[in-house]
Amino acid sequence: MLNLWLRRLSTDRIARSRKLSAPLVVTGKCGNAEVLTAVDDASERLGLAPGLALAQARAMHPGIDTVPEDAEADATLLESIADWCLRYTPLVACDAPDGLVLDISGCAHLYGGERELVVDLGGRLENAGFAYSLAIAGTIGAAWAAAHYGEPASYACGEELTMLAPLPLSALRLPPVTVVGLARVGLKRIGDIADQPRAPLTARFGAEVLRQLDRALGHEHEPLTPRLPVAPYVAEQRFAEPIAREEDVLTITARLARQLQFALERRGDGARRIELTLFRTDGVVRRIAAGTSRPLRDPDDIRALFVERLAVFADALDPGFGFDMARLSVIVAEPFPPEQIGIGGGENAAELCRLVDRLSARLGSRRVRRLVAQDSHIPELAETVLPAQVVNGDAGWNAFRQYRKEAKLPPRPLRLLARPEPIRAVAEVPDGPPLRFRWRRALHEVIAAEGPERIEGAWWSEHGGPARDYFRVEDKSGLRFWLFRAGLYRDLAQGAATPSWFLHGTFA
Amino acid sequence: MRYLEFAVASNFSFLRGASHPEELMVQAAHIGLAGLGLCDRNSVAGVVRAHLAKREQNLSLHYHPGARLTFADGTPDILAYPRDRAGWGRLARLLTVGNLRAEKGDCILHLDDLLAHAFGLELIVMGGYVRLLARLRESAPHRVRLAASMLYRGRDRARLTHMKELARAAGVPLIAVNDVLYHHPNRRPLADVLACIREKTTIERAGRKLAANAERYLKPPQEMMRLFHDAPEAIEETSQLSDVLSFSLDELRYEYPDEQVDGFDNAQDALTYLTYENAAHRYPQGIPDKVRANLEHELKLIAQLQYAPYFLTVHDIVRFARSQGILCQGRGSAANSAVCYCLGVTEIDPDRADLLFERFISPERREPPDIDVDFEHERREEVIQYIYRKYGREHAGIAATVISYRGRSAIREVGKAFGLSEDTIGALSSSIWGGGGGAVSKDAVTRTGLDPQSRRMRQIIALTQEVTGFPRHLSQHVGGFVITRSRLDEVVPIGNAAMDDRTFVEWDKDDLDALGILKIDVLGLGMLSCLRKALDLVDKHYGERHTLATIPAEDPAVYRMLCRADSLGVFQVESRAQMTMLPRLKPEHFYDLVIEVAIVRPGPIQGDMVHPYLRRRRGQEPISYPSEALEAVLSKTLGVPLFQEQAMKIAIVAAGFTPSEADRLRRAMATFKRVGTIGTFQRKMIDGMLANNYAREFAERCFQQIEGFGEYGFPESHAASFALLVYASAWLKCRYPDAFAAALLNAQPMGFYAPAQIVRDAREHGVEVRPPDINHSLWGSTLEPGPRAAERLHELHREMLDDVWTTNAVRLGLREIKGLQEEDARLIVEKRGVAYDSMRDVWLRTGLSPRVLERLADADAFGSLSLSRREALWAAKALGRVGDHDDDLPLFAIDSDAAVAPVVSREPDVHLPPMLIGEEVINDYRFLHLSLRAHPAQFLRPDLYARDIKQNDALRRIRSGTRVRISGLVTCRQRPGSANGVVFMTIEDETAVANVIVWPQVFERLRPIVLSARYVAVTGCVQEESGVIHVVAEQLEDLTHFLARLAEHGAQIDGLARCDEVRRPIEDQREAHLAGGRHSRLVRLMSEIPELASDLDVPARGSAHAPTRRAIAAPLCRARH
Repeated sequence: MLNLWLRRLSTDRIARSRKLSAPLVVTGKCGNAEVLTAVDDASERLGLAPGLALAQARAMHPGIDTVPEDAEADATLLESIADWCLRYTPLVACDAPDGLVLDISGCAHLYGGERELVVDLGGRLENAGFAYSLAIAGTIGAAWAAAHYGEPASYACGEELTMLAPLPLSALRLPPVTVVGLARVGLKRIGDIADQPRAPLTARFGAEVLRQLDRALGHEHEPLTPRLPVAPYVAEQRFAEPIAREEDVLTITARLARQLQFALERRGDGARRIELTLFRTDGVVRRIAAGTSRPLRDPDDIRALFVERLAVFADALDPGFGFDMARLSVIVAEPFPPEQIGIGGGENAAELCRLVDRLSARLGSRRVRRLVAQDSHIPELAETVLPAQVVNGDAGWNAFRQYRKEAKLPPRPLRLLARPEPIRAVAEVPDGPPLRFRWRRALHEVIAAEGPERIEGAWWSEHGGPARDYFRVEDKSGLRFWLFRAGLYRDLAQGAATPSWFLHGTFA
Repeated sequence: MRYLEFAVASNFSFLRGASHPEELMVQAAHIGLAGLGLCDRNSVAGVVRAHLAKREQNLSLHYHPGARLTFADGTPDILAYPRDRAGWGRLARLLTVGNLRAEKGDCILHLDDLLAHAFGLELIVMGGYVRLLARLRESAPHRVRLAASMLYRGRDRARLTHMKELARAAGVPLIAVNDVLYHHPNRRPLADVLACIREKTTIERAGRKLAANAERYLKPPQEMMRLFHDAPEAIEETSQLSDVLSFSLDELRYEYPDEQVDGFDNAQDALTYLTYENAAHRYPQGIPDKVRANLEHELKLIAQLQYAPYFLTVHDIVRFARSQGILCQGRGSAANSAVCYCLGVTEIDPDRADLLFERFISPERREPPDIDVDFEHERREEVIQYIYRKYGREHAGIAATVISYRGRSAIREVGKAFGLSEDTIGALSSSIWGGGGGAVSKDAVTRTGLDPQSRRMRQIIALTQEVTGFPRHLSQHVGGFVITRSRLDEVVPIGNAAMDDRTFVEWDKDDLDALGILKIDVLGLGMLSCLRKALDLVDKHYGERHTLATIPAEDPAVYRMLCRADSLGVFQVESRAQMTMLPRLKPEHFYDLVIEVAIVRPGPIQGDMVHPYLRRRRGQEPISYPSEALEAVLSKTLGVPLFQEQAMKIAIVAAGFTPSEADRLRRAMATFKRVGTIGTFQRKMIDGMLANNYAREFAERCFQQIEGFGEYGFPESHAASFALLVYASAWLKCRYPDAFAAALLNAQPMGFYAPAQIVRDAREHGVEVRPPDINHSLWGSTLEPGPRAAERLHELHREMLDDVWTTNAVRLGLREIKGLQEEDARLIVEKRGVAYDSMRDVWLRTGLSPRVLERLADADAFGSLSLSRREALWAAKALGRVGDHDDDLPLFAIDSDAAVAPVVSREPDVHLPPMLIGEEVINDYRFLHLSLRAHPAQFLRPDLYARDIKQNDALRRIRSGTRVRISGLVTCRQRPGSANGVVFMTIEDETAVANVIVWPQVFERLRPIVLSARYVAVTGCVQEESGVIHVVAEQLEDLTHFLARLAEHGAQIDGLARCDEVRRPIEDQREAHLAGGRHSRLVRLMSEIPELASDLDVPARGSAHAPTRRAIAAPLCRARH
């Protein structure tokens, strides 16, 4: 067994992607506090260590370079290293978050022996810029302990106990509370427990302690779990005759979807992201993923999704000599809201979702968008546009309607200009409505006005802007506008600019 | 045309109003409002402050106190203003009903409540509908109005028209309001931040939870008239309303309850009889003439002011406490009267201490008498419940304390509103030292990695400052009781406190004072608990029965001890500042202790009166008086004003203030700083003194002193009562250090020091201290026969050879074990019988969970069973897991241990590595907070020597001015506000405690070490003055990691004392000693009294560091050189 510990995985990842000028630390949230989650060699030399509060680290060394943690990127990187390690052995397991276990028994000779394999692996890792520590031993546990706490070397079977005895108990991969508990009675090293009577230890600290010891010593087998796809729902089918036609692919997709449907129903889930994997006879793998705007489990819906997706690919599906296997995986599942059948509205919503999904699949999800209500007094900030698939439900409009009712807010214009347009207006000081104004060269005589509705700028923002007095006005020709005076006369004394006028929207 | 604003919320509408009541009042007058009605949400907590603002500043506008009623049943808000005293009573009762129905801090009202209490109230409905108005009009005919406001909401005019119609339809008048939340539109950011705090959101996310605009400020009458152009009658109505509101808070004249004493016609006769009867006991040889004269004078005054019932009440409470064996003592100007001495309220013999009685009670001011009674803090509740029982909850209540935003809570809340991360907020707030009015410094901001110049940071800092001092909620005062003859709930609303069985009124002590409402302070004092315990121990183990009054007076051994600054644990004089002062002041008599207590206070320090006094006392400066008139005032204190009474007297005698002006001056200092009228008083006082030919410099210092007193007044009368406790505790510490230490430990938490320091001090005084043990300890510490302490004195205390009488050892109680619950400990003691003989025995007999026994094992409490810490833990871990069945074993266990034994012996032996002594010590610290084995520093010695670090006791042999390196466990860090950023650290090693001073530049450079190191090495210069030794730090080194070498958790132990400000930013019941005034802000000052930064100036002369030091200390030492 070979244990590979990439002890600086996060910082090495970052260092590979950009030039560093200062000691680097990676930070993350621990409860409410921002703490260091990884440090590089330079910051370790400064006395920084994972677990330290960021504020304190900054206080100690203001010059450090901090990067927020990205567990996903780390995991992806680890996986790609794992894939890459397949060159040494097919049995590679991820030892999250920053290690790999390789079962090299029977493989090392391909490289001319263990030593040579280690040299080769180490050389490649170094070239790629990874700090590492690795050890080979008869058991996963012993290799792990040696890589993390002992002398990284190769240990023959039977040598484990000698090697492990001086190492701390945490080298046995025990939960921290157990390690602390053992330390309190004076048992701190593996040697301290190795020859103690077993029953009293187990009685006090549980069976896990000795099991881990046994595993490390090879008295108990520890299975290696090679890396596997982790899709929660998978259905696959092999074909005696390779298939190539799009229709066949879709038929198979529907069939697989039907298999998934039962599994999904049983656990009350629906699919939010589905991947179709097509294995070509020559080893090339095609992956086609599709997202949904609500949990799906109906095979027809799923099929429909892939109709659109495949339409995008057109001929680029490129079956070559055909596919000999297809796999449909639900990558992201979500609880499927139990649907009420038949009482108004619901049907429509589902229709709309179906439309959104189809359009998004066809046009790209970023091009199908929806208006979303935002919580702000400032009109242009009161709505925003988001991809329709992301938006659920009424997008906040109910809350807005509710607020408008309670606050007895005057009506908002049907059409809001992208940005307020300056106008010239004559109005009564300090807060009267405009009597007439010129917009886009046309003069409008105001015959009726309501207001002002005073909305102050966001004082906390650099771009908060001055207060606005909004008016609804109607001109002689019956056109109705929404315009505002920016700036208040009472602020003039404090050096504010003279108020000016803008037109912001029009009513139907 | 006049306009009055009736819808005004102050910041007592918590997290809604964004201005102080005082600010609103002053602004209203400034912009020309004809009047103002203050109505906070279901509360009248702020009305007295506005009332005072008007009174103190002679503002001529009308002021109407009221409340804004908000309902739980969906009824729109209604403003209620009392027409007259009866109306006020209704309003108070209405709010009381709502308060008592709800949890603390809430008030649940229904419309029906209002209808039931509407008599005498004028109502303004904030929006509504015809049916509601009609219903209200029925219960309050002609007293209902409909409010209309013009708040720039877009449809104001349409709305106004609608309201007019509504009012007409309902047959009620329309009244103009602006629904004010702040006095000036520039408070909008603050109002928004408050809304964020209230809604627990951030300023970016708050969205429409914030107000759309800043229109809810106090608008000038012209502006209101312009806005209500369409409805001038609504403006006119404000005047109409004001005209019918005749109620003023001044009408709440206090009616003291009748104290009926059997056999007497009236209270005065009873008081006179009781006084003379008890006087005979006090003076068995006959009442001295002086005392008799005093008694006559005082009784006459009491009769004239009809305060006899009040004195009888105090007497009755004290009598009750005595009958229950609760130690108590009165203080305050009225308490230090001959009458109170005779009644047994105080122990200060007026014949012995010559006290000023001017502040006793003065007829021209009609100031209520001031008596605070301190009780043992652990038993005060009994007294409180007695008062409730005797007077009933309708007549007795506790005063409120207004809890305000302070430096840390302010930055915390504002930071959250701005979306700062927890750790940034933590870093910012931890840079604010102590709990007081500290502000966020630019440096602190920089250190957290933010830019102090950025717009956002500037906003945060400014808003933090603005919100500081804002009331956050009301809490019950530590013990101020209001007792009334008429129903208390018709004077002021009563609410539930967080504690069960407690109710408190909405006004704080200042408010009650301002209205002349009598109160009795029933306070808890930890030292009294400690003294009672110590006296009981002395009685039990030495057969001497003492009370406060019978402790031998003026024992020279006690003064000798105090002169050496050997005062750890002694009441009041145990702080570092006091310890540096003691050898300088060299107290020899009781009155010296009175001065000692009063001199290390903000008043004398700010007024720079300390050094002149010390110089005069030492004969280095002739005693002179600024004038003959002042000689009478200042003769007792060598011509230097030290007490609050003296400072007030100077204003009267030298600056020509009337007594009531002097008093207003003092109050103005405390209350009206934010309104800014201090200037006029300052001019008046200084001009007055100049006109009477006093030196300007003297006049200015006197004013500064009053400024200091305003922050925290310390009158002689309080100092005298405290001095008695100083003496009593010092006597016990001197004669019976065993009993004193045990009592101190049992009265924890109190005082400045942690058990570790108390134990260390006791051992240095020759007392043997024994560890807590499962078979020997009770919950508290006890005494066991032990060696004679006098023979075991540390060389520091050699001189006490003949003074110490101790022949007992202290057995630490189980309470010292971290995390052990009292009920578990009691169970252990209860089931112990003769003794436990094994871990299983303990387990089976007590039925405690193995987890609790592990605690005991960790604390090494199984010594009497010959179980080491690890062995005990091993045994405890096995309980209930070796195949035992809890339910079937106790049967055997009690009858025959033999039946149980085999179960244990079946287990094979396990070899546990023995614990090294260093690790034992670290574990002692972890689980007991102290170690009787050794000091951790002992094990570090080789490393320390290698770094040329000396033992702390070497300091005593090193010449002043030498540079030295020492080290120690950090026990205390203080940064007194008055010391300009100087940090005082106390560190201890195995040999001695050392005092370290860190000047601001060094502190800023080494801040992380000062704030976080648990073990530290200090390089610096030794300074010695009057036996007090300091090291002035030049360099600090964090050696905490050395501790980790002793044991894994070594670096996490701490030896911090209670007075450490970094860890414990001021809470504690020292607050209880504070006389009058605005406590919490000042508590800080009490605990942190600097070692008068200027003290350091004296030994520094001739040293190379003198210039720096003097420059820093300059603001504090404007003494005449």
